[in-house]
Amino acid sequence: MSINRKKLGALLCVAAVGIAVASTAGAAQQGSPGITKTSIKIGGTFPLTGGASLYATIAYAEEAYYAYVNAHGGVNGRKITDIVRDDQYDPSKTLPLVKQLVEQNKVFAVVGSLGTAPGLATWGYLNTHQVPQVLLATGDAYWGTCTQKVGFKPKPYCKTPKPWTMGWQPDYPSEARLYAKQILKTENNPKIGVLYQNDAYGQNYLAGFLQGLGSHTGDVVDKEKYNFGDSAQVVGAHVGALEAHGANTVVIFATPTASIQALATMGGVLHWSPTTYLNNVSANRLFVLDAEQNGATPNGIISSSYIGSQTATPSTPGMKLAKKIIDGTHNSTLIGDFNNGDNNIVYGLAVAYTFVDALKHAGTTPTRASFMAAIRNLHEYKNPFVYPGIGVQTSKTRTFPMQQLILEKWKGTAHDWRTFGSVIGTGF
Amino acid sequence: MRRRLPALGSVAIVAAALSVLPFVLSDYNVYLGAEVGVFFIAILGLNILTGYTGQISIGHGAFMAIGAYVTAVMSRDHGTNLVLTMLVAFAACFVIGLLVGLPALRLSGVSLALATFALAVSVPQLPLQWSNYLGGSLGVQASTKPSGLFGISMPGVAALSNQWIYGVAWASSALLFGMAWLILRGRVGRAFRAVRDSEIAAVASGVELGLYKTLAFGISAAYAGVAGSLFVMASNGFAQYQDFLVVLSLQLLIGAAVAGLGSLWGILVGAAFVGLLPKISGSVPLIGSDNGRDIVYGLLVILVMLVLPGGFAGLLARLRSLARGLNRESIPVKLRESSSQ
Repeated sequence: MSINRKKLGALLCVAAVGIAVASTAGAAQQGSPGITKTSIKIGGTFPLTGGASLYATIAYAEEAYYAYVNAHGGVNGRKITDIVRDDQYDPSKTLPLVKQLVEQNKVFAVVGSLGTAPGLATWGYLNTHQVPQVLLATGDAYWGTCTQKVGFKPKPYCKTPKPWTMGWQPDYPSEARLYAKQILKTENNPKIGVLYQNDAYGQNYLAGFLQGLGSHTGDVVDKEKYNFGDSAQVVGAHVGALEAHGANTVVIFATPTASIQALATMGGVLHWSPTTYLNNVSANRLFVLDAEQNGATPNGIISSSYIGSQTATPSTPGMKLAKKIIDGTHNSTLIGDFNNGDNNIVYGLAVAYTFVDALKHAGTTPTRASFMAAIRNLHEYKNPFVYPGIGVQTSKTRTFPMQQLILEKWKGTAHDWRTFGSVIGTGF
Repeated sequence: MRRRLPALGSVAIVAAALSVLPFVLSDYNVYLGAEVGVFFIAILGLNILTGYTGQISIGHGAFMAIGAYVTAVMSRDHGTNLVLTMLVAFAACFVIGLLVGLPALRLSGVSLALATFALAVSVPQLPLQWSNYLGGSLGVQASTKPSGLFGISMPGVAALSNQWIYGVAWASSALLFGMAWLILRGRVGRAFRAVRDSEIAAVASGVELGLYKTLAFGISAAYAGVAGSLFVMASNGFAQYQDFLVVLSLQLLIGAAVAGLGSLWGILVGAAFVGLLPKISGSVPLIGSDNGRDIVYGLLVILVMLVLPGGFAGLLARLRSLARGLNRESIPVKLRESSSQ
């Protein structure tokens, strides 16, 4: 019995020690980490492998642009190091990786990280620790909605402001509104079928689309949701359901793999060619070519763009510079993708350009705070990789940097996109 | 007497090591240490159910999800002290665990495993279904305002800092370990083991089968609930359904298998295996990139199962009997085994 009491005593000691440990004082951080006189370290998470790895070229393009900038002396004498980590588009993997970037690698800022769910999984942490989370590679409206205490819409997810978070590309709801307006303008009797991804990403698009239809939401005959990672058969079945509901206009709000599967099902399996709208994220030329290979007949599909095209307009100064930078990587896969029209590469270059632009304006010894001030005061009208005429601007009240789009249509004979009309303002 | 002293020694060594670690480790490694503490609790709970009572659960990720959302929602909506929410998570999961334990009365083996598997698949989808309360795909962010331990504020330690999580996780681990020890050493533990070894014999000896089977489920689920609650705290107070998908349930089961039965060291190793391996294998130089993570993880699981079928606890037991064998070389094998009973 006495032994048992001793054991109990020992256990209670463990508990006591544990609690005492809890009162360990945390060491306070001084200054902004990740930056020295000659270097700045940034990081980001991307799906380099897995179901969304078609986006991986964004990260490689950004690294290529930083290498180009470093080769030309860096920014104010600082060479940029970019630590790219693979979260496989799985938000449960993103937070540990971002914690590692911030706490172990001591990055100055998290730049360009891809994905809505991964972004949502980490913005609480990054804002709590006042680490810039900027130029997110996702167009959800969240990134520009919770910025300031004053003036933002009191959405539940904005319970605490997120001043350290900022997106880059035009937001999805605005893009979806544009498609809705275009449908109402051009179709006489639209029967609309929507295919969307069953998460915050797809719901954002859908909400914007329905908003854009206004009183015509009755034109939507069917909404099919698929889950990220669903097989081609499952996605195909959803497309079949759209046809069965009598849709004559199909709107796809999906991620690349599912979009390719959907287009391939429409053309190759159902031999069905309704008027089709494809969200910008999936409208990469490479993806549509892939769909064509699998039976899709994408002639006449409508989408939108905001960056330059290296295949449609290869002779613009921006696209020439892009080619020079990508050729400079000597990465044959990346160069091949670029030449085939992987627009994500131009996208990555454009994002990296904006980061460098903001860093240049953040003072001679940037801090995280001065960097945020700079990136919230952008007047970038000459980003060489962005579609001519579209600006990247921010201010205290303008929290969505890009608010313009150009519509484009797939030209079957050229196997490429052709923009039409003029640049359209999409802001709220 | 001779066998109990090393056990006491183990507890003392582990406690001392865990107390020193946050002072010597870097901030990020303290976070990893806290993660190990979270899985320690979950695997400890699963050990009570699987190891001691002989019932398989592939659904403990679901209980972690419930605990996680209890903490996140209570903190978000009512600003409840995070430590207090752990108690609520414990209670809620205990009750839900009892209810889930009811079908366990009629099912066993593979059927029971499949029933719990259904739980692991369905529960993480609930936040999407009830997105108004559970945040849907946006997740739930708990309040990150300073919240002291049991209402006592701690100067210099911000709530949800890595040190704070480490302290709370391992203090909870110590308490729950003590509680598990108290439960298992007495009448209840004897009944659990009797159920595991032979249900018929247990009933014949007067063990109320229904009571003890559901009780084991309840206790085990409650532990998982606390682990889920801590998991959210270690994620800066953010709960998202993607963290609790089937993979987590499988990881817990793997952790329990690696741990083996009834050894503090075993559970520590199992917890470290589940908590650390996915994070450190990502930077393994041989494979070189992050996609090596899953490969390394898979290979090591296979390796452990091949080399250590009894888990780490089995290895320790083997080493111990080997050491005893060396001390008493003249005693024949049969006799030695029976003398250690």
